Amino acid sequence: MKILPSPCLVLGAALCLATATTALAQGNDLSVGRKMLMEDNPGELWIDQGKTLFMQKRGPKNVSLEQCDFGFGPGKLEGAAARLPRYFADTDRVEDLESRLLTCMTTLQGFDRKELIKKAISPAASSGSDMEALALYVTSRSNGMKVNVALNHQKEYDMYKAGEYLFYRRSGQTDFGCVQCHGEADKRIRLQDLVHMTSKQGAQEVASTWPAYRGAHYVVRTMQWRLNDCVWQMRLPDLKYATDYSIALTMFLNRQGNDAVMQAPGFKR
Amino acid sequence: MMKTTWIKWSISAVGGLVITGCATYPDQAATRQLAEKMVFEAFEASPAHMKRLEQDKSQQICSKIGDAKPGQEDSAEIVRLARASIRYPASGQLSGDWKAGDRLAHDGAGDRIRNGKTEANKENGALCQNCHALAPGEINVGNVGPPLTGYGKQRGNSEAIVKYTYEKIYNAWVYFPCSNMPRLGATGHLTPEQVTHMVAYLLDPQSPINK
Ligand code: HEC
Ligand code: HEC
Repeated sequence: MKILPSPCLVLGAALCLATATTALAQGNDLSVGRKMLMEDNPGELWIDQGKTLFMQKRGPKNVSLEQCDFGFGPGKLEGAAARLPRYFADTDRVEDLESRLLTCMTTLQGFDRKELIKKAISPAASSGSDMEALALYVTSRSNGMKVNVALNHQKEYDMYKAGEYLFYRRSGQTDFGCVQCHGEADKRIRLQDLVHMTSKQGAQEVASTWPAYRGAHYVVRTMQWRLNDCVWQMRLPDLKYATDYSIALTMFLNRQGNDAVMQAPGFKR
Repeated sequence: MMKTTWIKWSISAVGGLVITGCATYPDQAATRQLAEKMVFEAFEASPAHMKRLEQDKSQQICSKIGDAKPGQEDSAEIVRLARASIRYPASGQLSGDWKAGDRLAHDGAGDRIRNGKTEANKENGALCQNCHALAPGEINVGNVGPPLTGYGKQRGNSEAIVKYTYEKIYNAWVYFPCSNMPRLGATGHLTPEQVTHMVAYLLDPQSPINK
């Protein structure tokens, strides 16, 4: 009796190798991205605030976030956000930036998850939330590098496909899925330009510009905030913070946006 | 003895490796199951509000991924369901008050939910301005749908046009299965009376849209 190596195995290994090499080929200089930022984007002020929060010993356990692993190992931030969402073995979940921050702030620093979530999205014209500043700081450490969301783990494949499904899923009294507003070029809701997310360019814009400074609110906003706002317009109920629904949509959009050059914070209306 | 252990070991080893080494896209049914679970876990809502997440038959058909259009059979089913959904106002009059329609056309609010509470509006706005150009010269208008400027001037207001317009607004999918226009009457976003005002707004020669 002889068991032949399954073709699937060979193929799988080859694929894994291929993705690993592209990952290594990344790496770039932070200064490049810094230069690309709009000179007068007020959102930049939040980067330093986020950095301070990141380095500070905080929470019941009085530790900083320097040991937080965003995918490249504890404390390794360069290029990490450009690869999110991704699978994390410690939580056995696919996590996006905001859910990963929640994980570290609860496990490392001992903060209460519920309390963090309550304050995660700040009121308009406020000085912003810790989460918003932290998310921006971590993302800014990928500026100038390319978005590179990979599918390796089965849960990453699952998350990506679920995100695609959700993008097209229509429900509610307005019959809206995301694609009804974001599926064609040069469309507007009233005067608001809609990003064409089923095009490579549109997805790249999404994947590379969040968190973003929102002019109308005078604060930095995260992807989770953006999704909340669209879901509200769709007449759906209150979206909980950092659920798989948001992570899946983000996974789908960011992967479609691969190869865009990260430049957070974006500057939005 | 030896042999069976060896086979068992090989199989489990291959099985184990297959899981990590051959991760791949889940099939449609698995994707659907997973994503639907995500939907119902993602929202904080009363049972009444949770109902908004449930898809009716037409929405299910119209949620095809990518550029896929509904096939002939699906389209026929959508049209059948859309026809059956249409309710007419108690008065039997399909054309109402264009002034009320003008106001509603420019109202994008109503029935949105924040912190568990629905907007406290007397009635839902009709959302038309979000997607359609309306009276000539209006700038703050969307273009998800075609311009409705001069709609009545071009078409007149024969009984057939009144009926078509009423039905189109009540359930856009009667005439265009799975279009991006919401089935505003059929989903309950607008009442039949409100739809009659929208008809008047589009067709009345006095309406600003026809000036
Ligand atoms: C009714 C129309 C509508 C629907 C449906 C809708 N959106 Fe949006 N979306 C908007 C508008 C309007 C904006 C903001 C445009 C602006 O600020 O100028 C926006 C912005 C966004 C952005 C930010 C784009 C950028 O980078 O500037 C993202 C991401 C987004 N939407 C995702 C989604 C997702 C995911 C869904 C489905 C869950 C969705 N939207 C459904 C109208 C919609
Ligand atoms: C979310 C965007 C959206 C909203 C809101 C919307 N529509 Fe539409 N409408 C469309 C699209 C897209 C089409 C083209 C596809 C179709 O015919 O269904 C359309 C088509 C139409 C047509 C058919 C045009 C023709 O030449 O026969 C009419 C009439 C119309 N809409 C009226 C309205 C009115 C009145 C309202 C408000 C009560 C409204 N729409 C709200 C998107 C929208």
